[in-house]
Amino acid sequence: MAAGKSSSASKEDQYAALRELYRPHIDSFDYFIDEGLDKMLQSIRPVEITVPNSPTTLRNILPASIRFSLLFFFFLPFARRLQFSGAVFCVLSKLCHLRGADSEKLIFHGEEATEMGGYFICGGMERLVRILILQKRNYPMGLIRGSFVNRGAGYTDKAVIIRCVQDDQSSVTIKLYYLLNGSARLGFWLGGREFLLPVGIVLKALIDTSDREIFTSLTCCYSDHYERGKGVVSTQLIGERAQIILDEVRDLSLFTRTECLLHLGKYFRSVMEGFEKDDFETVAEAVLKDYIFVHLQNNHDKFNLLIFMLQKLYAIVDQTASPDKADALQYQEVLLPGHLITVFLKDRLQDWLRKSKRLIVEEATKNKSFDLNDSQEVRKFLSKTSAYVGKAIQSMIKVGKVNSQSGLDLPQRDGMTIHAERLNFHRYISHFRSVHRGSSFAKMRTTSVRKLLPESWGFLCPVHTPDGEPCGLLNHMTSTCRISSFYNSEGATKDFQKIKMSLIARLVGAGMAQLLPRIERTGPPEVLHVHVDGCIVGSIASAKIEEVIPEDLEVGYVPLSHGGAYPGLYLFTNPARFLRPAFMEIRCPDGGDGGRNKLFPATHEEIHPTAILSVVANLTPWSDHNQSPRNMYQCQMAKQTMGFCGQALKFRTDVKAFHLQMYVILLLAVRWLIKIFFQTPQTPIVRTATYSKYCMDEFPSGTNAIVAVLSYTGYDMEDAMILNKSSVDRGMFRGHIFQTECIDLSAKSRDNVTEFFCKSNLSRDTTASIESDGLPRIGENIFPNEQYYSVCNNLTGTVRPIKLKGSEPAAIDYVAVNGTNFKDRLQKANIRLRRVRNPIIGDKFSSRHGQKGVCSQLWPDIDMPFSANTGMRPDLIINPHAFPSRMTIAMLLESIAAKAGSLKGKFIDATPFASSVKERSKSIVDELGPMLASYGFNYHGTEVLYSGVFGTEMKCEIFLGPVYYQRLRHMVSDKFQVRTTGRIDQITRQPIGGRKYGGGIRFGEMERDALLAHGASYLLHDRLHSCSDYHIADVCSICGSLLTATVIKSESQKKAKRDMLGLPTVKPPKNFACQACKTSKGMETVAMPYVFRYLASELAAMNIKLELRLSNRTELPTTTSEES
Amino acid sequence: MERAAGGVSYQRFPRVRIRELKDDYAKFELRDTDASMANALRRVMIAEVPTVAIDLVEIEVNSSVLNDEFIAHRLGLIPLTSAAAMAMRFSRDCDACDGDGSCEYCSVEFHLAARATDSDQTLEVTSNDLRSTDPKKSCKGILIVKLRRGQELRLRAIARKGIGKDHAKWSPAATVTFMYEPEIRINEELMETLTLEEKRNLVESSPTKVFNIDPNTQQVVVEDAEAYTYDDEVIKKVDAMGKPGLIEINAKEDSFIFTVETTGAITAYELIMNAITVLRQKLDAVRLQDDDADLGELGAHLVGG
Repeated sequence: MAAGKSSSASKEDQYAALRELYRPHIDSFDYFIDEGLDKMLQSIRPVEITVPNSPTTLRNILPASIRFSLLFFFFLPFARRLQFSGAVFCVLSKLCHLRGADSEKLIFHGEEATEMGGYFICGGMERLVRILILQKRNYPMGLIRGSFVNRGAGYTDKAVIIRCVQDDQSSVTIKLYYLLNGSARLGFWLGGREFLLPVGIVLKALIDTSDREIFTSLTCCYSDHYERGKGVVSTQLIGERAQIILDEVRDLSLFTRTECLLHLGKYFRSVMEGFEKDDFETVAEAVLKDYIFVHLQNNHDKFNLLIFMLQKLYAIVDQTASPDKADALQYQEVLLPGHLITVFLKDRLQDWLRKSKRLIVEEATKNKSFDLNDSQEVRKFLSKTSAYVGKAIQSMIKVGKVNSQSGLDLPQRDGMTIHAERLNFHRYISHFRSVHRGSSFAKMRTTSVRKLLPESWGFLCPVHTPDGEPCGLLNHMTSTCRISSFYNSEGATKDFQKIKMSLIARLVGAGMAQLLPRIERTGPPEVLHVHVDGCIVGSIASAKIEEVIPEDLEVGYVPLSHGGAYPGLYLFTNPARFLRPAFMEIRCPDGGDGGRNKLFPATHEEIHPTAILSVVANLTPWSDHNQSPRNMYQCQMAKQTMGFCGQALKFRTDVKAFHLQMYVILLLAVRWLIKIFFQTPQTPIVRTATYSKYCMDEFPSGTNAIVAVLSYTGYDMEDAMILNKSSVDRGMFRGHIFQTECIDLSAKSRDNVTEFFCKSNLSRDTTASIESDGLPRIGENIFPNEQYYSVCNNLTGTVRPIKLKGSEPAAIDYVAVNGTNFKDRLQKANIRLRRVRNPIIGDKFSSRHGQKGVCSQLWPDIDMPFSANTGMRPDLIINPHAFPSRMTIAMLLESIAAKAGSLKGKFIDATPFASSVKERSKSIVDELGPMLASYGFNYHGTEVLYSGVFGTEMKCEIFLGPVYYQRLRHMVSDKFQVRTTGRIDQITRQPIGGRKYGGGIRFGEMERDALLAHGASYLLHDRLHSCSDYHIADVCSICGSLLTATVIKSESQKKAKRDMLGLPTVKPPKNFACQACKTSKGMETVAMPYVFRYLASELAAMNIKLELRLSNRTELPTTTSEES
Repeated sequence: MERAAGGVSYQRFPRVRIRELKDDYAKFELRDTDASMANALRRVMIAEVPTVAIDLVEIEVNSSVLNDEFIAHRLGLIPLTSAAAMAMRFSRDCDACDGDGSCEYCSVEFHLAARATDSDQTLEVTSNDLRSTDPKKSCKGILIVKLRRGQELRLRAIARKGIGKDHAKWSPAATVTFMYEPEIRINEELMETLTLEEKRNLVESSPTKVFNIDPNTQQVVVEDAEAYTYDDEVIKKVDAMGKPGLIEINAKEDSFIFTVETTGAITAYELIMNAITVLRQKLDAVRLQDDDADLGELGAHLVGG
């Protein structure tokens, strides 16, 4: 591992890059603690309780201390060891007691020195909120989608959609549909259904305005002298459409704002909760406030935005502007953990208030003495249901399900959280850097959402996405990609209001005309609307657009075009957007160019080309020399590597349990944790710059194996590889699997029957491995079916020993006892088992270039080829056929480079695209070749090898050098399936399936066909009959039935006789008779599959008789019933 | 042994010349024999010369960071001084202890007890901490595990005789390799046609220093024939220069140069001598096979362990 120990300060810096990767998770939760919670509580509508027959009204039952209690009941940072407690908090967030701890303190607390936090500990599991892609907030997006037509008659496939997000991060999506008649409908979801309002009503209800004003505002972007040309977004049709919109309102005989409000109020009072008693106008105001453009407070702003959206909608309809691409990253943002929790908590609190209100009202109507002013009484009712709020948050983190009636405007309801697996470090990092497109897209047939779009350049890694089902949906952020947050780079909270004001001031200074309060009379060709976070703040002459940029400001300047995207200047400062660093051309006030090259014509420049790759993809050496799918495979395999999953492994058992199985049968809740641990990992000789940047040496995951590329024995065909047995003996690729069983006997205790750990003092057969407390001794080796702990039932007093399952022996690594609920008996314990997994035939290995292989032989060292001058025998032999079709040139380069590096004693930098940054005159081989030659080796990395068996020189030169190989977690010991005899199915008597139960592998129809084609009938009979459900049935050849055989009781005299003589009783041969024919004359025995008999009985149940005709059928001369 | 057909004897009398002999390193020439003989010697040295290595570990206390299996594996790989290994018995053949490996004829017992009490420094447990019942056995300080304050390691280990074929820990050889002695012929006539620059290029074409230019006569001379790795670089260069036959290199089929390095369990001299003994025993076993004799210990070698 890391050799040089640097001072603690520089060590902190060393991990800074790593911690930066986890920032989005921690920052958003920090904000939730800092301000989000307050803002959310403020935005909850006060609940008013009035009891009929009672004069008092209770307003705002939300207790003032709620913030305090919320923090302390649900988000209290308990020490992580208390796995049975249910605290929900984000590790290393501001609530965490380890926040800001240096690595020494972290180690002291039993954490990794590199601990990055960002996840939640819930019920002993580490879970993180999955970053989901959402539509960009506060941006009106024009879309064409076939499903819009289904909204009703007259609807078209065109709409402008805006996802409005309030301060408390809850959002309401507004859709503006275009109708065939030229009008538009404004739609939003309320209480589980979509409400569609004529846009005119909303326009009129928002502000006091006249028809003329609406007309001029709508048509302001059109002028008669415009022709179809650059920047013209509107056509003359807009006048007619404005007329239609106004006519619609007039037809409803709504003229003034008040009339519109009354109309809306009447419509919505029944669905708006808590407004049953209010007048229509209040209801309508509430609808406008809570559902229409919630990101804006001012009705004038809302009016302006609606006008703008209409203009955009019409431009898209008239094809003077193109629809926006919903799949492009520029129209997307992400869902962050803090935001999700805020939104969900708000919903749950509202639900809680609703429930409490109902309870109080019920109580007050029943109980006359109930005083609403008695805060103690009210509080009692409040606390009745308050526990559910915390439980809901907990279960959301635990299960990932968002249980809410409204759906919270989220794209999906489940799969919001995932388990942070620490199988190895690559996997662990990847969890936190992954971005999912949404589970609904997984089912879609179209592949357009999965495409890699140029907009994702530098934000999402083009390499690191799984192949197969989630391909293109589950992406990973590049190593440099950040997410904008509420905090600036100094860690202070951003004041968005202030930023906005200064921005407006700057824009005004730059020539922006502020619009106060109405949208001005001109549109795109001459001036551009300026939107700041979805609010139109003014317009600026399109000729002079210059920006002054605060930190993390996103400037969306859509220039004038013909038939292109709808023009405007869109500024965004809000959180949850993708950001990434780049060099940028900024005109400095002093006229300088910031020291950049004048000759370079672009406005932006990449810092380094590797910025387009994710962390894991960045770790592939010279990935620019590989065929691209191989790099993808490597990203997959890096995450399956058996490596150092954690240095604090010793302390991590109890927390890290993850559910694989629940054993309910035994009244036991058993949880399993599987961790794979690699005994002798090394640091790679050839590594990229990212490797040291992200301190991968803390968690190494492979071995520099000496690899020879030759086909030597035939055992390396088809991606098989030969391992040197002596190398394996010496510890290469050795590993262990740690498996923790969390046994909670209290969880399943019923009534007064409790179970606890106890050693039986009665039975002698309990093995020595169980100690007096009923738990195993640490270090003990347990063999399959051996008892390793025992449980006592206090009702029956019996002691039940538990046996080790599986076919592998295990060592007891660690036993932890949980005493939090320790009354008098021990009920909770964690037992960590350790299993040795040394490489055996069938285990899977891979290099870092998507070249996986299965170990086919552990070849004796003496039989391996050897080099005459060094005496070196390879650790591993792979077949040269692995290269031509896969074109993993980087693997060959790695071999040469690692050879040169190990001779020189230096690590070799293998950062991809290095040649495009540095002026490199030579190719990599030309750099490494002379280095090899200077040490007396072949320029091209080949060596003359001698056969280990014959001692003679091999005809051709062999490519030999160290390559970093990873051992993958797929091991035969977990997968092999073999059986001779064993359990059978009760009904069919055929062997059962399933590896766990000792079942067989299905010999199915296609296999049967193959045997038939081969004419291997004996084998077929053996497989499908003799080894399966061979059965000898008694068939009555007279009636042909195989179900009617009954046993004739043999005379008991014989038995008695034997008894008298004192001889052992012998079962008399059974005699059968046909029950239908009442005779045993026709009884024959026939061998058949048992299922056939079963089929006969099933048919009999349906009143169908199955008749067998035996070839040696005996016929009764008298009564023949041939026909049937 | 029966004579080959025709009564001709193919018996050869190999010669050995030792060039260099150190405790853990030897270089010698083996002449007048063929590859099968040389390779057999190499294979026996690596895989069949017996040594003693820890084979059974009973761990009493282990609170170190490494788990029991890990420590046991590390202990096994420690080379123990095995000069007497040839005279010892394989524990499975041992009559004195019924093969359970706990008698002086077939095993050596070690004890290790270490506990870190020093507050600041980690305690390095090395192979020197292994205390043996047989005081003759000792070994160099090889790190086993590091202990933090309060951690303890206490164990009993039994070393047994074994061969490298069974497990690499019993292999006394770190490296055993041989090369065919090269025979380099320079066609001086053709060489005269070369300019000095060409000669220099020719000399540098070999990554190892095989040739040199005599500073006085400016002739290409063979400086170190054995540095040649049969990589054909010089031959390729000669062909590229359009002068085939300028240099010819052939491997002598009957001369081998051996390089032997040991792990330290036994000396290089012992390794070579024991290898010859083992090889002879194996040949004897083959000879005796017809007689259906009881092979005893040799049989173990024959059947591979």
